[in-house]
Amino acid sequence: MHRNLPQNKEALLKSYTTRLKEDVKSMLENFEEIIKLAKGENDSQLNRMTQIEQDTYEMQVRAANIVRAGESLMKLVSDIKQYLILNDFPSVNEAITQNSKLFRTKQQECDQKLMSLRDDIAADLYDLEDEYFTSIYK
Amino acid sequence: MANSVNISIEAPIENQIQEITYDGQEIYQAPLSMSENLARLAQKIDFSKTEDEFCNIKKEGESTSETKSEDESKEPGYQSSLWPWDSVRNKLKNALTEVCVLADVLSIAKEKRYMVLDPIQAEPVDSRPMVQVYGRKKALGAAGAVLLAGVERLRASETMRMTRNMPDFHIDLLRLRQNWRLKKVSNTIVGDLSYRTAGSKFSQTGVFEVTKAPEEQIAQAMSMNASGPAPSALRVTVPPELQGVAFISVLCQKEQEDVVTATLSSSALNCPGTLPGDGAELHWQQKLEAAQNVLFCKELFARLAAEAVQLDATIPHMVVGNQIMATVLPGIQLLIGLCHNNGQNTSNANPEGVKTEGSSGKSDHDHVLEHSLHQLLRAVHHNNTHHPFPHPATGPLGPSKRRSLAGPMAADRYELLEMSKEQSLLEQIIQQAQHFFMRRRSEYVLDTIAKEVKDPLIVSHWNALNSPTQSCVKINIMAYGYDAVCRTSLVVHVGEKTLKCICRDGKVRHLSYELQELRDLIYCQIYQHQMTAVQAVGRCMGWQLLASSAHLGSGPVEPLANASTCLLASPTGDRMIAIRCEPSVGIQVFIAQSPRKDFFASELVQDKKWENLGGAFKEIKLEKMEGKNFLNKMELLMACLSSPS
Repeated sequence: MHRNLPQNKEALLKSYTTRLKEDVKSMLENFEEIIKLAKGENDSQLNRMTQIEQDTYEMQVRAANIVRAGESLMKLVSDIKQYLILNDFPSVNEAITQNSKLFRTKQQECDQKLMSLRDDIAADLYDLEDEYFTSIYK
Repeated sequence: MANSVNISIEAPIENQIQEITYDGQEIYQAPLSMSENLARLAQKIDFSKTEDEFCNIKKEGESTSETKSEDESKEPGYQSSLWPWDSVRNKLKNALTEVCVLADVLSIAKEKRYMVLDPIQAEPVDSRPMVQVYGRKKALGAAGAVLLAGVERLRASETMRMTRNMPDFHIDLLRLRQNWRLKKVSNTIVGDLSYRTAGSKFSQTGVFEVTKAPEEQIAQAMSMNASGPAPSALRVTVPPELQGVAFISVLCQKEQEDVVTATLSSSALNCPGTLPGDGAELHWQQKLEAAQNVLFCKELFARLAAEAVQLDATIPHMVVGNQIMATVLPGIQLLIGLCHNNGQNTSNANPEGVKTEGSSGKSDHDHVLEHSLHQLLRAVHHNNTHHPFPHPATGPLGPSKRRSLAGPMAADRYELLEMSKEQSLLEQIIQQAQHFFMRRRSEYVLDTIAKEVKDPLIVSHWNALNSPTQSCVKINIMAYGYDAVCRTSLVVHVGEKTLKCICRDGKVRHLSYELQELRDLIYCQIYQHQMTAVQAVGRCMGWQLLASSAHLGSGPVEPLANASTCLLASPTGDRMIAIRCEPSVGIQVFIAQSPRKDFFASELVQDKKWENLGGAFKEIKLEKMEGKNFLNKMELLMACLSSPS
């Protein structure tokens, strides 16, 4: 289990790199293909109008691919952020230390206040008990 | 033309200047001869140019001759230096061949027997480029539109977040991560709110799921309360069994009558109205804390229930549904119930309407019991994770220090068994409840005695330093105005089921939970105090103590303790006061005088000296006497009797 975990992490990090490269490459390739289509050097045996329609669709698909690659990159950014947040143990430890320090000081404060309050109340209670039991009103 | 002027034309220098000497003389090159000039000009002819054109024409005809002629035309270039006319000759030869072929073709065509020449239809002007350009323009436009739409979508989401101050999912996630345990399982973020890391061994998992809140809902929530705190971009989903509000209600019942209700609840749960049924707008922190509290209550209750079943008490504990019943003291039962309100149905889980009863009957909960319930389980958690040092390098972690020492110290089976005994939570809670009752009852007894008995004042001081199962009260018995003369103080330690009284004389008395014993003891102490106080007052007044007995054998048998007496004589010795104190009757005071001032001889007593033997005691009606209290009256009496009159 312990050995598995770093390997998984390693694989995940590598997959992030490959995703980045693939998306950028896909953007570039699709753009190049669009430019090539715009040049229109390919001769084919298709009817002219069919060819034009095909080119139009291909361009649209390639443009959509570029958009998809862009959004995939955004997703990648979000994934990396999430990964960092979830696996950044030093900062989590820091936060825990800070929190525990905060709560400890708060606890001490409360304890001190309670103790002084208790002392005051005990002293006052002693006097009040004295007064109550020696009075005729009981 | 005859009149024309003769114009002399001088030919320009035809010969090129080869060199100009220093004295300005020009040395000319010798003019080329006719043949040399011809060869030079012939070399300048560019046959390739014409040949290309020729080849183009010829392409339609035959191609084999073309390559051949090209090959040949190249050769003279290399050999031109050998023989200047070679290229010319080759070209001419090629031309001749071509002309011959042309002549042949023409002659064949002319015959029209073997070959017919048809005019080739001219290729129509191609309209393709323009259509294609328009098509491509349209296609590029469409592609661009797709790209722009994508960009627009990205930008819109970004600007919406920026301008409308939308909460960032990742910042919220970071805050969540700093407070809770999270991990990523495939595509979902899963958190854990159980107390496992704090040492809990409860089997139920506290897994919750973190998702991103839909943006429309955030926008809606923001528009709902613009001034309030910003809604979170996080959505936390807790399992249904941990939703809602839960608390442990502790109820002490005395013959179906509520005595005290303690409620275990966190601060958020004290006001369940703040927790709406649909936890949509509830902040994740509060939601998780509530769920954690539910888990904590469940663990506490499960543990208590298991212990209740395991423990073999004299009166067995009962576990019925969500309720544990245990007997604290005879006639008093401790009910511990788990109330879980998961939002859907409001009051199904309340055992016998504990909540409503508690809120209507006794609104103030015992926060000490509530706190100790918390403390007990947390102490268990703490012990699970914090083992005493030193930790063994090998072997199990966790046995106590005493058990680690048991090996070297060669403990026997009995000692080991003694070590393995540890108090369960239920036992500790029952002990605390028992102590709570003992304390309340002692308080009640002391207060009622203080109310009943006016004469010596009974002042009780409760000690501020106490533990959940032990407290201490100091009781002072004294008379008003005579507290410096005599005061009796005793200390009562209130335990779980017993009381320990340490009296003034150092005697220690253990009392049971039946408080009549305490009451009797205090009454005894009161009368004992009166007797000692009278003696002290007598000493102050110069009276002499003739006799005193704390346990008088004479008289009727007292139901409570024994009667005590004392006998005091005046400084002159002619007056005596006898005091008899019976706890059941009260204090009786008798006085006697001897000798009497006036002596009348009778037949029986003929001499005055017999008067010194002491006379008959006469009882004094104390209640008719002047004086604030008994001691005051006695002081006045003594003063009155000591005065020589």
